[in-house]
Amino acid sequence: MNAHALTALKLTGIAFGAMSLGLLFMGLGRIVSARIQRRIGPPFYQSFIDVIKCFTKTSITHNFVMDLGIIMALGGLIATAFFVPFANFSVLGSSSVVIVLYLMSIGYLGMAMGVSASGNPNATIGISRALALMLGYKIPFVMVIMAMILTYNSSDLLTYALAQNHGFGSWHIFKYPLGFIAVEIAFQAMVGEKPYDHMIAPAEIASGPMVELSGKYLGIGFLLHAVQLYVETGLIVNLFLGGAQTWYIMMVKMFAVYFTTMCINAVMARYRIEQGIRHLWIWAGSFALLQLVYTRIWG
Amino acid sequence: MYDHIFKRAQSLHGDKITCEKKHPQQLEIKTDRHYVMNLLSWLKTESYVHLAFISCIDWIEENQFELVYHVYSYEEKNHILVKTRLDRDRPWMHSIIDVWGHAQPYEQEIHEMFGVYFPGNPDLSGLFLHNWKDLPPMRKDFNPKDYSLALYSLKGMGHEALDMDFIQEITELEVE
Amino acid sequence: MEHDNIYLTNLRDEKQNMWTGLANYFRKRSMWMLYYCTGCGAIELPPTMTSRYDMERLGMGPMATPRQADLLLITGYLSVKTLKRVIWSYEQMQEPKYVVGFGSCPINGGIYWDAYPVINHLEAFMPVDMSIAGCMPRPQAIIDAFEKLMDEIQQGKAVGYKRYRKHYDWYKRNQDLVLNRQSAVLTPYVDPFASMPTAAELMAQESEDSHV
Ligand code: SF4
Repeated sequence: MNAHALTALKLTGIAFGAMSLGLLFMGLGRIVSARIQRRIGPPFYQSFIDVIKCFTKTSITHNFVMDLGIIMALGGLIATAFFVPFANFSVLGSSSVVIVLYLMSIGYLGMAMGVSASGNPNATIGISRALALMLGYKIPFVMVIMAMILTYNSSDLLTYALAQNHGFGSWHIFKYPLGFIAVEIAFQAMVGEKPYDHMIAPAEIASGPMVELSGKYLGIGFLLHAVQLYVETGLIVNLFLGGAQTWYIMMVKMFAVYFTTMCINAVMARYRIEQGIRHLWIWAGSFALLQLVYTRIWG
Repeated sequence: MYDHIFKRAQSLHGDKITCEKKHPQQLEIKTDRHYVMNLLSWLKTESYVHLAFISCIDWIEENQFELVYHVYSYEEKNHILVKTRLDRDRPWMHSIIDVWGHAQPYEQEIHEMFGVYFPGNPDLSGLFLHNWKDLPPMRKDFNPKDYSLALYSLKGMGHEALDMDFIQEITELEVE
Repeated sequence: MEHDNIYLTNLRDEKQNMWTGLANYFRKRSMWMLYYCTGCGAIELPPTMTSRYDMERLGMGPMATPRQADLLLITGYLSVKTLKRVIWSYEQMQEPKYVVGFGSCPINGGIYWDAYPVINHLEAFMPVDMSIAGCMPRPQAIIDAFEKLMDEIQQGKAVGYKRYRKHYDWYKRNQDLVLNRQSAVLTPYVDPFASMPTAAELMAQESEDSHV
């Protein structure tokens, strides 16, 4: 087997691994919310059942752009997943955080294109909210990344992860606590959990972007969310929680990040859209700015 | 409570109305239908600014409809019912939307449910009923039971069968 | 039928092979519902969904739009106006789809059997896969019904959507009978004021009449 085929195989493995891990997290996240609400909750494999069921249903498409957009979103996010190091292992040999941020937007834009083509006004509202919110969380996030790049003179996620390999004390969560808080707030908005779930808002705009997705499209929508979870939790683990040497440590750390998010999600209500953006800019933004200034002067 | 308004009504409109105390906070005024508008505009100036509702009653034996205007005063904290009778064969009544604009949907509803016509009301189209072609349904000579049986029952739909047989029948419709 | 408060309305078997059997397993374990809160029954769903009875155990959850849902809950009486919307929602749902009628109203009209705006037999307008008798059924009965529905789905008996597709003309005829009626049911009503006269005209006419 030649090297290319091997890489292709590995990439396929990562794609499916990312989807399954994301789905597993979603199932566990539902159990977490259920337990907080004193319910039993679904089995942990519920999300797998949901996705498979979605693929057994008939589905309706509105035009070619809708198909294209959805596939582009999934493709964009899976491509992002290739660049996120998993347990200090990166198939492509490069894991620049700039590429990750750039590719992640392709996912969102694909989604925006696909669901806007479906012609439902609620979907368009949902997408415009999602893009507005993106403006809110990308800025603090990028400021924190800039602080890192200034320190290490490198944008490689693997470099950051390896630099944190010397025990707890070297973890960035202790070195850059303000940056961690900023990113944690931004993360809440990235995965679209409360209080930043404007874009889904089931009772308000009937689940926003997903409103016209039926059957297989909805299944892909779920997979999108799963890959998104993988990418974003992986990013935070590599940036702040010391990366990981082994795959199970990595998974535990990733789940810890998601667990925090779900706990916040279970007890918060939704902000209004302009409140949400203001909150992100003021709180996450000021923490990120402080971190940046601090790193620049004393770091 | 309402002695004041009672006396004023008697002295100003005494020959056109009959007043009756119904309840410590409720006064009933009966009047001719052409006089209702005058009375209501007068009441509005007398702090009875809240038109709560307009209701309609079908007195089928007397061959009359009765319209009841409920007005309320926040200052005197009492409630006046202005009642008037209409001929049931040709029921129409002056619209009061010039006095209270929000009377429009009330009149629209009475028109739909009783067939009382309100000249001057700009919109008397149907409000609640879907594709209605029968007598207005709140009239006493409309029989809802017959209607329901004729339209919604299985017999009415052309299935000459008892319930369980019917369900059996459509369940047995062959599937693929 | 021998079941106490639930009777099964689907007796016909779908031809099952291994794949449909497997697909049915996933379908039954993940029913997303669109609850159309038409009547009293809507109030029984919050306890069914939340901590006390927790229907998420069964993989069920509320969904926001008909496109995403598998299960349409008709929670109570259906007026003619609502029926039209229910049919739209049902036709927007993607197959396989199931309908559950709550309470006696969708079965035979319940206490509204003689009311002019409320239809009596939902079964005549769309295929109902499961009916729960009671006024209103308690959450226990609802969960029970969902479990029975899951069994039916697994056995390939809940095929109302196929019946709807195959016998669409039959259902459409009944729907038209109620929704697009052309003539009056009992006495046709002739509006004496159809020409929309003004008050002045009416008064002039009245004084004329009184002179005669
Ligand atoms: S069956 Fe009873 S509870 Fe249910 S909608 Fe009818 S009247 Fe209401």
